[in-house]
Amino acid sequence: MPNNLAVRIEDLSIKYKINVDTKRTMKNALMRASKGEQVRTRTVEAIKHLTMDLPHGSVLGIVGANGAGKSTLMRSIAGILPPTEGRITVNGKISTLLALGVGFNPALSGRDNIILGGLAAGMNRDEIEGKTDEIAQFADLPDGFIDMPVRTYSSGMYGRVAFSVAVSMKPDILLLDEALSAGDASFKEKSFNKMRELCAEARTIVIVSHALATINDLCDRAIWMNKGSLVQDGKPEAVVEEYLKFLKVGTLPSNYEDM
Amino acid sequence: MSNTSANLENSVNLQVFEPHKASLPPLIPYFKEFWKRRAFAIELSRFADKAEYLDSKLGKVWLVMNPLLLATIYFLLVTVLRGGMKSNEGITTLAHILIGLFTFYFAQSCISSGATSITAGGRLILNQAFPRALLPFSSTISAFYQFLPTLPVYIFVVVIGKWIFPATQIPGFTWNYLWIPFIIACVGITGFGLSLLFATLNVYFRDTTKLLSYAMRIWLYASPVLWLPDMLHGWHRAILFINPLGPVLSSTSNVWIKGISPTSGELIGCIAWAIGSLLIGGFFFISRERDFAVRI
Repeated sequence: MPNNLAVRIEDLSIKYKINVDTKRTMKNALMRASKGEQVRTRTVEAIKHLTMDLPHGSVLGIVGANGAGKSTLMRSIAGILPPTEGRITVNGKISTLLALGVGFNPALSGRDNIILGGLAAGMNRDEIEGKTDEIAQFADLPDGFIDMPVRTYSSGMYGRVAFSVAVSMKPDILLLDEALSAGDASFKEKSFNKMRELCAEARTIVIVSHALATINDLCDRAIWMNKGSLVQDGKPEAVVEEYLKFLKVGTLPSNYEDM
Repeated sequence: MSNTSANLENSVNLQVFEPHKASLPPLIPYFKEFWKRRAFAIELSRFADKAEYLDSKLGKVWLVMNPLLLATIYFLLVTVLRGGMKSNEGITTLAHILIGLFTFYFAQSCISSGATSITAGGRLILNQAFPRALLPFSSTISAFYQFLPTLPVYIFVVVIGKWIFPATQIPGFTWNYLWIPFIIACVGITGFGLSLLFATLNVYFRDTTKLLSYAMRIWLYASPVLWLPDMLHGWHRAILFINPLGPVLSSTSNVWIKGISPTSGELIGCIAWAIGSLLIGGFFFISRERDFAVRI
């Protein structure tokens, strides 16, 4: 893979098998086996033959309706979901923020949760302990809240801490899935600035968001996905415009077949 | 920007994700990553423990009280069933049941909390890529830390017992106590191996943990906890060895109650079950763990 690339996706397809039947229990499996019945499954093609290169320092926005495969794509880049076909090559340290407050234990203090979140993300203890105050400050936690149980936090505070932990890792590649909706306007501005800073350091950011203005504001490239396929890849304004048309009219652009 | 690009080139951290069937990922990078993130497993267990007992002052005491009270109940039950026993024999039986229960509970706690670690860690699994075996490993560490405080309690009971009934079979200090760390390690490794197996099963069949709670109870009765390993003779002794915890429990009884070293058969049994459980559980778990994010 060329050194200037952060992520290379080659002919990626991801399929899941969903169990359509009742709950997956041993009891049901035995009952079914005794009746000679087969498990009814449905295959969902979450991503279909996607090929894409992402150079270092780019900010990619992904738009698409629910079920387009955006989150699946993010998880596959992070190495969480294995490809069914194709290959993903990633060059650099990844930090993910794919679901808010992951790994957070509400009974523990913010400080404990930050340490746990950092360790889960692959930082070492000294590294993360040295950063807890910085994280708390960046997350705009009111005085003393860092040592209070997370259950006392507002949902905004919760989201801000999660975002701060993810960016504090100084990742080469930052994956954010609907993570920017957490804060208020001032935190949003702060997080945008932080991301621009990361970007200036040649770090790569991939953002999934339904807030199309965010995509236009932050990204230098956008892709639109629909039912697992890439519909459009280009400048954010152009992609967002086409996507908005699709949302209003419900038809895909005429050049879709060519993609 | 070009400077940083150069830095990135220097610290190339290339990862390739490709399709897989139910086969093992490259093991050396897997174990390297596991080792690198061991602090996460340790802290996860410490924090889970902290969160669990945060609001209850008696919390940790229950860890000791629960097996202690159960041991008393089982002891009374065994005494009634046998139609009473002499006080010397009584204290030996109580000591045997107590250490057997503590040891069995250590294994049980590894297995049952490890079995739910993957399904309970759903959000973590969906957000971060890390060797999933760290989650059951963290449960094993928790189980170990919960087991440790029971040992001083046991030693206290035995010392008091010996003091009140000097004629009892329980030995004073013997060098054979040096076998104890080895036995505890075997219990931990066997428990961890089996927890990997049941954690995987629980992802596919969500009632595994329910069945496990019944299975563990039957397993307890089939293990030399409420009865002495010496009660089995001839081919019946095979019962000890087909039980993954049989050799460790019978070694425990030998060292703590008789003050002798485990027999060579027991030692081989301990090692074989520890390695066997780890290999089978590890293979089953690691070969399927990339599937977990889809199944959860």
